[in-house]
Amino acid sequence: MAGRLLLVCRLLVRDLRRRRTETVLLLLAISAATGTLTLGLALDGIAGRPYQQTRAATAGPDVVVQPADATGPQALAALAPLATAPGVTGHSGPYPVAYLTLTAHGETVHTVVEGRDTAAAAIDRPEVTSGTWVRPGGVVVERAFADALGVHTGDTIGVDGHTLRVVGTAVTAARVPYPQAGWRVPGTPYTDPGGLVWVERGDIAALAGGQQSLSYTLNLTLADPAAGATIGAATSAAIHVTTRQQIADTDDRLVAQARKAVLIGSWLLAGLATAGAAGIVAGRIIGRRRRLGLLKAVGAGPGMIAAVQLAEYLVIGLAAAGIGLAAGRLAAPVLTGPGAGLIGSAGTHPPAPRTVLAALVLALVIAGAAALSPVVRAATTDTMHALADAATPPLRRRWRVRLSRRLPVALLIGVRINARRPQRARLAMVNTLIITTTLAAALMFQAQDRKARFLGPSELPDPENERTYRAILIVTFVLCALALVNAIANTWTAVLDSRRPLAVARTLGATPGQAAAGLAVAQLLPAIPGVALGIPAGILLFRIATPGDVRYPPSAWWLATALGVLFAIAALTVVPAMTAARRPVADALRSAPS
Amino acid sequence: MTGATVLAARSLSRHYGRDGGLVRAVDEIDLDVPAGQSVAIMGPSGCGKSTLLHLLGGLQRPTHGEIRLAGNRIDTMSERALARLRRDHVGFVFQAFHLMDELTAVENVELAALLAGRSPRRARRRAVYLLERVGLADRAGRLPSELSGGQRQRVAIARALSNEPLVVLADEPTGNLDSAATVEVLRLFDELRAAGQTLVVVTHDARIAAVADRMISMRDGAFADDSRFVGNAATTATATDSPTVFGWEG
Repeated sequence: MAGRLLLVCRLLVRDLRRRRTETVLLLLAISAATGTLTLGLALDGIAGRPYQQTRAATAGPDVVVQPADATGPQALAALAPLATAPGVTGHSGPYPVAYLTLTAHGETVHTVVEGRDTAAAAIDRPEVTSGTWVRPGGVVVERAFADALGVHTGDTIGVDGHTLRVVGTAVTAARVPYPQAGWRVPGTPYTDPGGLVWVERGDIAALAGGQQSLSYTLNLTLADPAAGATIGAATSAAIHVTTRQQIADTDDRLVAQARKAVLIGSWLLAGLATAGAAGIVAGRIIGRRRRLGLLKAVGAGPGMIAAVQLAEYLVIGLAAAGIGLAAGRLAAPVLTGPGAGLIGSAGTHPPAPRTVLAALVLALVIAGAAALSPVVRAATTDTMHALADAATPPLRRRWRVRLSRRLPVALLIGVRINARRPQRARLAMVNTLIITTTLAAALMFQAQDRKARFLGPSELPDPENERTYRAILIVTFVLCALALVNAIANTWTAVLDSRRPLAVARTLGATPGQAAAGLAVAQLLPAIPGVALGIPAGILLFRIATPGDVRYPPSAWWLATALGVLFAIAALTVVPAMTAARRPVADALRSAPS
Repeated sequence: MTGATVLAARSLSRHYGRDGGLVRAVDEIDLDVPAGQSVAIMGPSGCGKSTLLHLLGGLQRPTHGEIRLAGNRIDTMSERALARLRRDHVGFVFQAFHLMDELTAVENVELAALLAGRSPRRARRRAVYLLERVGLADRAGRLPSELSGGQRQRVAIARALSNEPLVVLADEPTGNLDSAATVEVLRLFDELRAAGQTLVVVTHDARIAAVADRMISMRDGAFADDSRFVGNAATTATATDSPTVFGWEG
C-alpha cells in the first residue's frame, strides 16, 4: 500500500512539475470560478455588519415613526402617545422634517431636511465624519449624499432658495442612506429617491416656509425590538413605522443588483471554467496517452490509472479553491465596501465556513466534471492503442469527405481537425458562447442610463448602479481572462492531437502556413455559432435580470462585438498554431521514444 | 534446460475487420513455451508477430482461442486480473523503451515493484540490484533523456525483471538501437537465457535468434517454421528451472 501511495505521489508531483503551464492554466480556470463565487457570497448580507456597526456608533433607534400625511401640530399630536406607549423604553424627537430640494454644483435634487438640536440626542446621534454637528445657519449632509453631490465641509449649497454652509458630513442608522432616504412626494403616499441633510431645529421652519408644512419624525427604542411593526396600534392616527430591520434590509438592497451580477457571473464562470478545464484535461490526457499505456503494460489496473489521474485533479482542485478564496477575499473590498452611508467594514473578515465549503465543492465539481470522462477513457482505453499514441481517426461521413474535397487546404484541415475531436469543437463553441453572452449582457448594461433614473431632472451618480457597474466590470474581466486561457488551451490541445495528421498533410504538400491556418480555422469554425448564439443569449440574460423597459445598443456595437470576439480568437490561436506548424515534419512523424 | 510449460496458446486467433476486409493478424496458432526456454519469433513486417506477443502478454484479447500462463487461462480474465497478471508474472520490453520521462532510471525500474505492492525500501533495493546487474548502477539517478538508447533499453529490461516474472516478452528490443547498443542488449539477453529466464522475443535481428533456444518463423499470422536448437539448450543445461541470477536477493 505504501509503495502504491508513494508511486501515486511521485507521479503526481513529477507530472505537475513537468507540465507547469497546463497546471497553471487549470489552476487559473478553476480559481476564477471559485474566486467569483467567493465574491458573490461575500456580497450576500454585506450590509448587515456595517449597519450594525453604524447603529451601535449612532445609538440607532429600533423604530422610526412618522405621521402618514398630517403636518404641523396634528403631526405632533399623532406622535405624542407613541413616546409613552407600552414597550417603549426610550425616545428622541419628535424632530421636524421637510421634503425640499437642494442645489449644489448646478444640480437640483430632492432632499429630506431634518431639524435637530445642537446637543446630541440620546437616540439617533448621527456620527459626524467630517466637520461639526449642526449649528444655526449650517447644514450637515449625509455622507453618501455629500459624495454623490461632490460637496465638502465649507462648501455652500442651496435649500429651496436659501443658502447654507456645509458644516459637516455624518452617517445615521435611522434612515437609509442616499438615494433611499425616503423623500415624500407631496400629497401622495409615494417616495422618491433623495438624500438627507440636517439643519438646526430653529432653521427648518424658515426653509420649509412655515411650521404648518413641517412633518415630524420620532425615534423609539423598544423593550422588544421585534415588536416594532405593532407600535402603530398605540395611536389612532395614520403613521408610517420603519423598523431597524427594514432599514437594514433596504441598505442590503443597495447591493442586490451587484450581487445578482456577480452570482450570474459566477455561474457563467463555472460553466466556462468547466469547459476550459475539460479542454485542458483532455490535452493532458492526450499528452500522457503513452504514459498511461506504459503504466497499464507494467501492471497498473484501471483503478490505479484512475487514482493517478484523479489525485492530480484533486490536488489542483484543492489548490484552486484556496487561490479562489484568497483572490475573492482580496477583491471583495472593491464591491463589499459598505458605501459612504454606513461606517465599519464588510468583507475584511475571514471567509465564512459556508463560503469555504462552497468554493471547495465548486472547485472539486469542476475538476471532477472536467476530468471524469477523459479519466474513464484513459482507464479503459486499449493498452496498445495508448502505447502507440495513435491519434483518434475522424468519423467517416460521406458528406464531410465530399465537402472537404472542395474546400481550400486551410479549411479542409480545420474541418478534419474538428471532425477528429467533435467534443473539443463543442467546448470551443461553449467557450465563445459564454464570453459573448457576458459581453452582450455588459453592453446592454452599458447602454442603460445609469444616472437619470433617480432624482428627477438631475443626474447624480447612483451608488447602486455604480456598484453594479464595478461588479459587471470585474466579472467581465475575469471571464475574458478565462476565455483567453481556454482559447489558448484549446489550440494547444488541438496542436498536440493533430501533430501527426498535420505532419502527414505537410508531407503531402501542405505548407506550414496552411497547416497553421488550418489549426486556427479549427478554432474559428465552432466560434462562429458561439458568437451568433451568444449575442441573443446575452440580451435575454439581461432582460431576465432587469425587468422593465430597457434600451438597446446600436447595431454597430453588436457587429463590433461579434467581429472582435472572432478576431481575438484568431489572434490567440495563430501563435501556437504557427509554432506547431514550424516543427520539423520528421519529428512529428517519429513516435518519440523515451 | 527446459521445464514445465509456462506459456501455452491453443487455436489462438486475432482478426481485424469483417467480411472482405477481414485481416487475420494471428491465425489459429498453437504454442507451448516451457520454463527457461528462450524463443525468438521472426518474420516479415505485418506477419502478426507483435500481435502474438501482445496476446500472450494480455495486452490484447484474442478473437478466439485460449492462452494459459502457468496453467491459468488469461484470455477470459477481467482487466483488473490481467493487470495483476502483468505486474506479477510478465515482464515487457518494448522497441520504443517506454520509460517514464519524468522518473529517473532507478524510479523507472522500481515502478513495477511498487505497483505490485512491495514496500518502497524493498522496491528500491531490488531496483538498485537490477541496475547493477545491467551495468547501470552509476546511472541510477539519471532521467531517460540523459541516457543513450542502449542504456534506456537496459533500464527497460531491468524494469521487466523487477517482479521476477515467469516470462519476459520483448518486442523488437534492438529495433531502435545502433550496433554498439544492440551488442549490449544481446549480451544481456544471453545472460538472461543462461540464467534460465523464460523469454519470448519478437525480432528482425538474426543475432538474437542465434542465441535463442528456439526460433519460430511467422508468415501471414501463422507459424511457418518452428526450430529448436539443441546446442543452445545444451548451453543452458546447467541452469535451474527457477531464475536466480536476477532473482530477489536476500
